[in-house]
Amino acid sequence: MAILEVNDIAAGYEGVQILWGVNLKLEPGRLTTLVGSNGVGKTTLLKTVMGLMQPIDGSVSFQGKDVTHLSAHARAKAGMVLVPEGRQLFTEMTIYENLEMGAFSPRARATFSQNLDKVYELFPRLQERTRQKAGTLSGGEQQMVAVGRGLMAEPEVLMLDELSLGLSPRLALTLFEALTRLKKTGLTMLLVEQNVTMALAVSDYAYVLAEGKVHLEGPARELSKNDEVRRTYLGI
Amino acid sequence: MLDQLISSLTDGLLLGFVYGVAAMGLTLIWGVMSVINLAHGPIIALGMFGAYLLFTHLGVNPYLAMAPVAGAGLIVGLVIYVIAVHRVINAPHLSSLLATFAVNMIIIGVGTAVFSTSPQNIDYSLGSVEVGFLTFPASRLVGAVGAILVTACLYLFLYFTRPGKAIRAVANNRMASELMGIPSSRVLALSFGLGAMMAAVAGGLIATFFPFTILSGGPYELKSFVICVLGGLGHPLGALVGGLLLGGLEGLIPTFMPVSWVPVVEFGLFVLVLLVRPSGLFGAK
Ligand SMILES: Nc1ncnc2c1ncn2[C@@H]1O[C@H](COP(=O)(O)OP(=O)(O)OP(=O)(O)O)[C@@H](O)[C@H]1O
Ligand SMILES: [Mg+2]
Repeated sequence: MAILEVNDIAAGYEGVQILWGVNLKLEPGRLTTLVGSNGVGKTTLLKTVMGLMQPIDGSVSFQGKDVTHLSAHARAKAGMVLVPEGRQLFTEMTIYENLEMGAFSPRARATFSQNLDKVYELFPRLQERTRQKAGTLSGGEQQMVAVGRGLMAEPEVLMLDELSLGLSPRLALTLFEALTRLKKTGLTMLLVEQNVTMALAVSDYAYVLAEGKVHLEGPARELSKNDEVRRTYLGI
Repeated sequence: MLDQLISSLTDGLLLGFVYGVAAMGLTLIWGVMSVINLAHGPIIALGMFGAYLLFTHLGVNPYLAMAPVAGAGLIVGLVIYVIAVHRVINAPHLSSLLATFAVNMIIIGVGTAVFSTSPQNIDYSLGSVEVGFLTFPASRLVGAVGAILVTACLYLFLYFTRPGKAIRAVANNRMASELMGIPSSRVLALSFGLGAMMAAVAGGLIATFFPFTILSGGPYELKSFVICVLGGLGHPLGALVGGLLLGGLEGLIPTFMPVSWVPVVEFGLFVLVLLVRPSGLFGAK
């Protein structure tokens, strides 16, 4: 059974509807990628899934329960965790405090020290500068804090919006490596990524969003061979 | 002459600590939710009456009365937030200004009906303290110590407790807080409550210095604005330093010119700082 289900979601902003009935399912333990051109509504979909905005229509269910009307913090508490586009760190707080805030919910607090070890192991760079203000970090380090903070929340589903945006190829690679290591631990993930080639290479399953709907879906390996996907998103 | 100056300055500085606490309440609320609480003055006045009523009717020592006054201030702040502020929290600033101004008018109106506007005072003296050639009321010294304690507690709370860190997180990035499972609306309510609590405690301390009416919060609200601008809006510690600065000025000015010039100089400074360093004298950005 799917751990997260998005059913016929329609959403938009004052007067402009962006999503027109999106359906997707996340199977447990699988890394799923959401592909789509700029401005198609990927971030809008993630925000709606997290409850940062209310859908016009449709529903979201998590672990078999309808969460469409829950607040974002209640969803986070239940184990739905989003690493948002643009990182959205607590810039005035230290790295350590950012990680601490990630573990705010009671469920996450119980596993605080194990998760902290895991994050430091994944990103040793963070451990070297725990007392540094997050706002003064480099872009790559900030993204590590953002992912680390998400992991501290003890996610059942981890959603990552634009993981490698604005990072050097080497740093992007570091983050993708982290992703594959997390996948091995059995974590369910949903990835939105500019670098479609890399995203498809590490993912199990993929959805292509176009014109407000799921336009294509299938195992990532098959989609990466699809002519239309290659032309439109892989630039081949 | 020099003795006179130092003595006025000490007087002003001791008072300045308490101004700082009042301003901290205003600046905390602004820093967390970008709301300017126009009910700040009336809440200060409620703190004055709280201490007064506990002392006059129940015989509670005015300094011990600060604890229940603080608790009541917290509750008053929570109630104001829930009833008047929360629904306009995402609206343009004008809405929250009007909402808190409405609360201001309600408190003043009800307060006037209940307490009238004749001055009251807390008839309790600690005598005076002599340090070298300086003589000042002991209540000022106790007030300053109280103010320092309150500031220290606020800092320990914000930096070393979970709810305190949640307040800083929400102030920093409300959306990210929600994503991390922090119930941001409840945190905003708590912050507003704490801001009101600081105002009420400042009022209670001021009531041990001077006579007051339900309208007496007004001037302290204005002073709080000046202090917040001096110290940088949104920085609690800046508020304390700003309070000392203003208190010091208030102590010194009367030795050079008529007392009625005090507000002129204060607000002149206010405008000057806004023009030259809008982020406050100590604000980094
Ligand atoms: N707050 C907003 N108000 C109005 N329109 C918005 C708002 N946020 C996004 N939009 C619009 O909604 C559309 C979808 O935006 P969204 O951010 O979801 O796209 P995206 O697929 O994440 O794009 P990108 O790949 O660039 O991140 C865009 O046309 C955008 O201009
Ligand atoms: Mg986006």
